[in-house]
Amino acid sequence: MSELSSAAAAANVSGAAPPEAPKLPPRQWAKENLFSSPFSSFLTIATSMVLLVISRALLGFIFNPIRQWNSTATNMQLFFTRAYPDEQYVRVWSSLAAIIILTSVSMAVWRAGSSIPLSRLGRKLLAGAVLLVLLALLAPFSASATIQWTLVAVCVAAIGEGIRRSAGKGEDERSVSSLTVLVVTLAGLVASLWVVPFGHHTYIPSRQPRVLAESGTVALTTKLPWTIMLLIAVAAYLVGRVIRERLPLNPTRVTLLVLWLLAPPVLIYLVLRDPSFDMGHVVSTDLPIFAAYAVGGSLLLSWLTRPSTGEAGRIVAVVILIAGFCTFLTPMRMVVRLDMLLLAVFALAAPTFAGGPRNRKRYVLGWLGVLGVMSWLITAINTPSTVSVPGGFFIGGFSITLMVAVLTLVLSFPLGIALALARTSTMPIFRLLATWFIEFVRGVPLITILIFFSIMVPLFLPRGMHLGEVAAVVIGYVLFSAAYLAENVRGGLQSVTRGQHEAAEAVGMTTAQKTLFIVLPQGLRVAIPPLVGHCIGVFKETSLLAIIGVFDVLYIGRIVIPGQTEFMGSTKENLLFVSVIYWVFAYQMSKASQRLEERTGLGER
Amino acid sequence: MTDTTPTEPDGGQTRDLSAARDMIVCENVSKWYGDFQALEQVSATIKEQEVVVVLGPSGSGKSTWIRCINHLEVHQEGRIIVDDVELTNDLRNIEQVRSEVGMVFQQFNLFPHLTVRDNVTLAPIWVRKKPRAEAEAEATALLERVGIPEQADKYPGQLSGGQQQRVAIARALAMEPKIMLFDEPTSALDPEMIKEVLDVMKTLALSGMTMMVVTHEMGFAKEVADRIIFMEGGQIVEQGTPQHFFENPTEDRTKLFLSQIL
Ligand SMILES: Nc1ncnc2c1ncn2[C@@H]1O[C@H](COP(=O)(O)OP(=O)(O)OP(=O)(O)O)[C@@H](O)[C@H]1O
Ligand SMILES: [Mg+2]
Repeated sequence: MSELSSAAAAANVSGAAPPEAPKLPPRQWAKENLFSSPFSSFLTIATSMVLLVISRALLGFIFNPIRQWNSTATNMQLFFTRAYPDEQYVRVWSSLAAIIILTSVSMAVWRAGSSIPLSRLGRKLLAGAVLLVLLALLAPFSASATIQWTLVAVCVAAIGEGIRRSAGKGEDERSVSSLTVLVVTLAGLVASLWVVPFGHHTYIPSRQPRVLAESGTVALTTKLPWTIMLLIAVAAYLVGRVIRERLPLNPTRVTLLVLWLLAPPVLIYLVLRDPSFDMGHVVSTDLPIFAAYAVGGSLLLSWLTRPSTGEAGRIVAVVILIAGFCTFLTPMRMVVRLDMLLLAVFALAAPTFAGGPRNRKRYVLGWLGVLGVMSWLITAINTPSTVSVPGGFFIGGFSITLMVAVLTLVLSFPLGIALALARTSTMPIFRLLATWFIEFVRGVPLITILIFFSIMVPLFLPRGMHLGEVAAVVIGYVLFSAAYLAENVRGGLQSVTRGQHEAAEAVGMTTAQKTLFIVLPQGLRVAIPPLVGHCIGVFKETSLLAIIGVFDVLYIGRIVIPGQTEFMGSTKENLLFVSVIYWVFAYQMSKASQRLEERTGLGER
Repeated sequence: MTDTTPTEPDGGQTRDLSAARDMIVCENVSKWYGDFQALEQVSATIKEQEVVVVLGPSGSGKSTWIRCINHLEVHQEGRIIVDDVELTNDLRNIEQVRSEVGMVFQQFNLFPHLTVRDNVTLAPIWVRKKPRAEAEAEATALLERVGIPEQADKYPGQLSGGQQQRVAIARALAMEPKIMLFDEPTSALDPEMIKEVLDVMKTLALSGMTMMVVTHEMGFAKEVADRIIFMEGGQIVEQGTPQHFFENPTEDRTKLFLSQIL
């Protein structure tokens, strides 16, 4: 029963740990769970047979000698960034580095990771070894390959058993941080790039022969950056630990969250796309508009957030909102309209944040920050990319999939929440507008919206304004996604009980305060599962980009690579690879959602 | 005004509040749910520091009335004046009244996603615009007053019913209300927790808070109330001191009600 004590130690709860269900020895466990009755024995055996047949077929497909896996390996760069110019590639790496730094610092600050008992780690490795042996037996390998795989399996098993032995027992059971395991695994993978002869493959359309395939390890341009990325990740994590120890926690976390929100637009427009600003236009038009809104808006908001302003403030806010809608009736610059609507939102929320001079200053600064980001985004969208890539889109492959998905989600969340609030509000105009919008968008196929935005909208745009290539499509995605999101959020909002509304009202909160502090936090928490489902959906729906002529990862795997003369008919291989990429990311999102549910559910129960 | 200072619990019946200021004035208040009339010409005046217990059978309109007083329900006829502010549909009046009237619900209605401390400080910080440090110091003092200073960092779901209801009282008190409304505050509690909540309410009454309490706890009514109002069918049937009410009620319906519950 040493298992029992080690399990209790693993629980690692302060004070007395509750007794855990005793762990059964494998044979007894199998008897109780798999062979408890004749019927369940039959089910177990039948399921195992089916699994066996399926995995044999799959392995037979993967390891069949006629498979052209070369086509996948050779076109790795195409898959991930398409024809992004080699001499500009350092931009791709630096934006990846930025994301990695943010991730590592956040992991340190939020104390990500858990401790895994060594015995469990050992057992997992042993199970992995068993799987490897199964693979070696099932796959149609030559004798020598079978022996090689079995040897690898034996090595893994030996390591696993070694770890299990050294784990210690009872009280002094040793464990290891899951982050250490992660880093060791990654380091192993990176080291394998330097040691294992994966081969050096490249496809260069402009030369003859087009395929460069040398034996040896992968190209230096692959293994060197990845090594640097790993070092950066570790270094950033250590820096994050220092930050966690030295700096006050809450401001650090807020700063990190803001950086995460800013990262997608900054990386896309500054690092990857590098817009060529028409400085004459910026100085003559964009800056004056920004300055006017900055000054006027600040004055207005600092008046609105005075506690003594009262009812007059609400009237002014509503007037601005209506004026904002009216700007769409007359021809004028889109920036002016959007800024007006943004100001209206800030004005409506102003009474909530009213208070002393410090509160008011903070609110005005918030306005300036949001206004600045929005102005810059609009200017950036309106300027062409300086990275010239054949085909017009500045990047392609999996990068564009990720980019469109992230931008869509970041932008459609606020819009979706606003729509949900409007649809549940007591104001009939808002309710009507939101309902119409949602029902209209949900009634139209996504592909129609995308075609509309990529082809029609540029024709309707006023003179002097043109949307950047991906921007038009992203707007279509955002509108579509926001409509669905709004319905998910609305479901969450409706789950907030009447008692919660009444309690908030009874302490004198305004509707805005009630919504912000009571209804939204509870409603969004309930909506986490459908919201994550939605995120996964958006991620996968980016594959529709191919239809309007964007080279996304699916299009490359399905059309581009099988069209290369050297790799005719390699569709199956590449499709399998693409689905693995999609699956890895979607599965991570699902896992993240489970962790999020666990974390946020903590206070409730 | 010396009469209005707190006295012994049983002395509640003897104190003379006739000189005190009117805190709540209801004049011919009527309310309908669709065709059904839930309140019929309810008129009553509640003085400063007075403790009024509202009794009545189920469905008699007690909750409806008490909820009209902070505008959680909207009355259709008559006038309700709270601390010299008349309740109309004007949002500003409603918010002013609500920030002066604390309410405690049968189902506690604590905010489940906030800690006990945040439950108590949220409204003072955002509605009263108090600095956070000040609000937190006051919250600590209030939690001490209701007897659960050690639970400040827990979530409501981790507390017992009695503790939750005391947090709810502290949350209402944090707004420094002039009036406290209680709608059956102990009805959802197990018997052993009722006392701890009633004790808190008793001390509150002794400290001079104006209170309006809907309850089925006759012991509390006898001991703490200055006046008892008996309702049935949306009307006030009878009112008077606990002594009058329990010992020689005049109305037949009151007698019937008392015979059923005592
Ligand atoms: N939202 C509503 N819609 C329709 N009828 C309602 C509504 N709320 C209350 N009523 C009706 O109004 C009457 C008075 O209800 P109220 O809740 O005030 O009674 P009560 O005296 O508090 O009863 P209890 O002791 O059961 O809480 C009841 O007949 C009830 O059915
Ligand atoms: Mg009731």
